[in-house]
Amino acid sequence: MPVAAIEARALRRTFEGGVEAVRDIDLTVSEGEIFGFLGPNGAGKTTTVRMLCTLLPPTAGSASVAGVDVLADAAEVRRRIGVALQEIGLDPVQTGRELLELQCGLYGIRGADGKARAAELLELVGLTDAADRRTKTYSGGMKRRLDLATALVHSPRVLFLDEPTTGLDPASRIAVWDEVRRINSEGATVFLTTQYLEEADQLCDRVAIIDAGEIVAEGTPARLKAALGDDVVSVSLNGADPDATRSALGQLPGLERVVPEADALALYVEDGAASIAEIVLRLNAAELQVGAISVSRPSLDDVFLRATGRRLEGEDQPDEGEESE
Amino acid sequence: MTDVMLLGRRAVREVVRYPEATIPTLFIPLFFLAVNVGQVSRTFPPSTPFLKEQGYVAFQLPVSLMFAVATATSGLALVTEIDNGYFDKLLVAPIRRSSIIFGRLVADFVRGVSAATVVVFAGIAFGAEVRSGVLGTVVLILLSAAFGVGYAGFAILVALRTRNVQATNTSFLVFFPLLFLTPNFVPFDRLSPVMEALARANPVSYVIDGLRSLVIEGWNLEKLALCCGVIVAMSAVLTALSLRAIATYDR
Repeated sequence: MPVAAIEARALRRTFEGGVEAVRDIDLTVSEGEIFGFLGPNGAGKTTTVRMLCTLLPPTAGSASVAGVDVLADAAEVRRRIGVALQEIGLDPVQTGRELLELQCGLYGIRGADGKARAAELLELVGLTDAADRRTKTYSGGMKRRLDLATALVHSPRVLFLDEPTTGLDPASRIAVWDEVRRINSEGATVFLTTQYLEEADQLCDRVAIIDAGEIVAEGTPARLKAALGDDVVSVSLNGADPDATRSALGQLPGLERVVPEADALALYVEDGAASIAEIVLRLNAAELQVGAISVSRPSLDDVFLRATGRRLEGEDQPDEGEESE
Repeated sequence: MTDVMLLGRRAVREVVRYPEATIPTLFIPLFFLAVNVGQVSRTFPPSTPFLKEQGYVAFQLPVSLMFAVATATSGLALVTEIDNGYFDKLLVAPIRRSSIIFGRLVADFVRGVSAATVVVFAGIAFGAEVRSGVLGTVVLILLSAAFGVGYAGFAILVALRTRNVQATNTSFLVFFPLLFLTPNFVPFDRLSPVMEALARANPVSYVIDGLRSLVIEGWNLEKLALCCGVIVAMSAVLTALSLRAIATYDR
């Protein structure tokens, strides 16, 4: 039986004041996977990562990373993992090269080996030309790439990336995605948190959706979307009465369910294209003026909507409480 | 030990590259030295018994040395790293947490030696004579730097406990009463009875007294032993508290 790269059982973290950031979650990530941990701000993603990286002890439950228990042997876990946290952790006074050489030194790669490894990583993340500039002069994308490089100095077995593309421009985001794929292709397991659906869809072999500290869905992106089965017809209400609209469309053929959204209704139907004409006829008959009507295949956002009753995109929950300690 | 040296070298590099963080800490002691000496040198001429034929600058030099080395710089650097996330990167590296503290203290020692050297030479330029000679001057600088290392533990402790820049910055203010409830302007026996009692109860007094003995008297082993004892005890207590704070950080 293959060893899980990450395994968590009933993992819980309660902060002072009773804030339950993570509530008894179970996770299994296989070796070699890119695993996406998807959820809005404040859902518990960062707290989970901090527990798995040994930065924060769980209030209850257990977890092992790269085959080592995070509580029983935190030092060994740290030797086996690489971490790039949401907050880009760089020393602004040092140059990119100095920072990487120091990081190599802290992982026991010293002297000529450390210099060579730092140079190799700088080349890999495209920062050779900027290597001898202080990191405070780097752009956001360069800082993120350097931060990623610091997590790779010792070729970790498991790499934790906490929202690695937040705040990056599209080009830098794609560069980070390419780098994540390359790292994974060399055998590292990647645990990636994100609030971007496209990122999870593009990169991840499997995803778990976390909301309010609980995992509400888990599987491959394709399977999660396929489980919804239907097409999604989105009817923009444009101020029209939602109850009246819902009532007018209630007996639509092939309708599985109706999910209300902000000034819109999401209709899950067997055949979206075929339903459009019938929807328009029924709305006209009920003398309801609505906005745009569009058809799409279910997305991970629809999966999130199904699991939580809310859309993920544009969602912003309060902070999950890491700072309340 | 290698981790301490790696982190210490990084922190020293920070001192060198951010002179604007060190220079203001030198301005205040040099300013006090010049102003105090200018104001009271006629009141306390070299013939004053406790000055032993030296100018008042020699008496004030140790006080300026203490001002120069007692800074919250390491605490501020640490709290900034907590704020920008680099501290987490160090915590997740396979190193002892204590090496983060000791690395900072290495930089404090280097900063302390540099600052004390500048102040001692300023004092000499103002007319002070270090009666214990060249070796005594070296000991004076090293003891001052050691006091700075011990004191740095306080700001580091505040940084780790509060994780707040303002709180860490104002921790420096604690030093003022400790410095002024001492024989900083006149010897113990010239203080009022209440002030003398307070000064004798304040361990910092014995550091000033020991440093001053090197300048005014020469080698007074009893005062030096007391001075070293206070520095060692203070360093041990504050460093131990800092180590405990980092060991239990987010635990």
